[in-house]
Amino acid sequence: MNRLSLNGTMAKSRIAAARVGIGGPVGSGKTALVERLIPALLERGVDIAVITNDLVTAEDAERIRRSGLIDPARVSAVEAGACPHTVIREDPTLNIEAADELERRFPGVELILLESGGDNLASTFSRDLTDFWMFVIDVAGGDDIPRKRGPGVIRADLLVINKVDLAPHVGVNIERMRQEALAVRGNRPVLLTNCRRGEGIDAIVDLLEREVLFRT
Amino acid sequence: MTMRLHGILGKSDDAAFARRLHHLEHHDGIELLFVPPADVGRKRFRLTTDRGTDCAVSLDRDEELTDGALLFLASDRAIIARFGEQESWRLTPVDQAAALRLGWNAGNLHWRVRFDGDSLVVLLDGPLDTYRARIRPLLESGEVVERDAVR
Repeated sequence: MNRLSLNGTMAKSRIAAARVGIGGPVGSGKTALVERLIPALLERGVDIAVITNDLVTAEDAERIRRSGLIDPARVSAVEAGACPHTVIREDPTLNIEAADELERRFPGVELILLESGGDNLASTFSRDLTDFWMFVIDVAGGDDIPRKRGPGVIRADLLVINKVDLAPHVGVNIERMRQEALAVRGNRPVLLTNCRRGEGIDAIVDLLEREVLFRT
Repeated sequence: MTMRLHGILGKSDDAAFARRLHHLEHHDGIELLFVPPADVGRKRFRLTTDRGTDCAVSLDRDEELTDGALLFLASDRAIIARFGEQESWRLTPVDQAAALRLGWNAGNLHWRVRFDGDSLVVLLDGPLDTYRARIRPLLESGEVVERDAVR
């Protein structure tokens, strides 16, 4: 990318990788979403790396490293050792350093996915850490989650409602849930997914390509 | 057409840019990119200028976007970041004579305006009181009526 200098000439400047956060409650499907996003992004030619956050283990990182979806060296683990939001919002230093280190080792990386540990509806990402972040909830957690207006639901750049296939089994009217989510978010993006079957993933990648990677 | 912009060139009030920006002001070449308060800390964002230009902006990790940051500068155009939503000021002249005077003032003051029926909507780039002060006689005489000052 070129940067205009004061006298109007152009100078080369390398652009840092986009950093995309994925947060949400325990069990909502954050890791499953990462496992779907990896092949979808690779298929579109996006050079990626992944950071996972766990409480006191590297379990999610190991799961993704073993998946065969991505070079294991491109997956880093951060152990929060405390409430997950502390390392993505209050003091994201560990994650910033992990992302910087991935960029040093893989200079061509275009996008880094940062998966938070499972947290509550108040979980949000610092803008110092991520350029864009999504919050993942699932229908089995209750269709009242959007109405509760948690900061995660309200402030995320994208709200993902996962496990839509379970809606009929847990008495959820998915369209009403989506409409309520759009209402509390002022019509900012809400997308539906079934990560187990890979449904809805392309729409998320389309959004990332437009809003973060600037490809469209 | 998307403009891909990377990095901050400087501040729009830097002395080094003053002459070129002043020239562009007089040739309708300044575009403002209004950045909502919630997006100020971003290092990547996609927003549309007040002239409708789609901008895909990225910053270096150690750069901080500031109000007035100059994001693009060319011979015919500059793009400047402004924080907050666009504020506007709606004015209605009471008759044609007042409309002529209001239009004359707005034009000479280089205000950015939109026309909305019988009203002139001024797009504010600074505190409202500084705008009011420029046409106070028209306001105090009742020739021009303030309808609202809105975001």
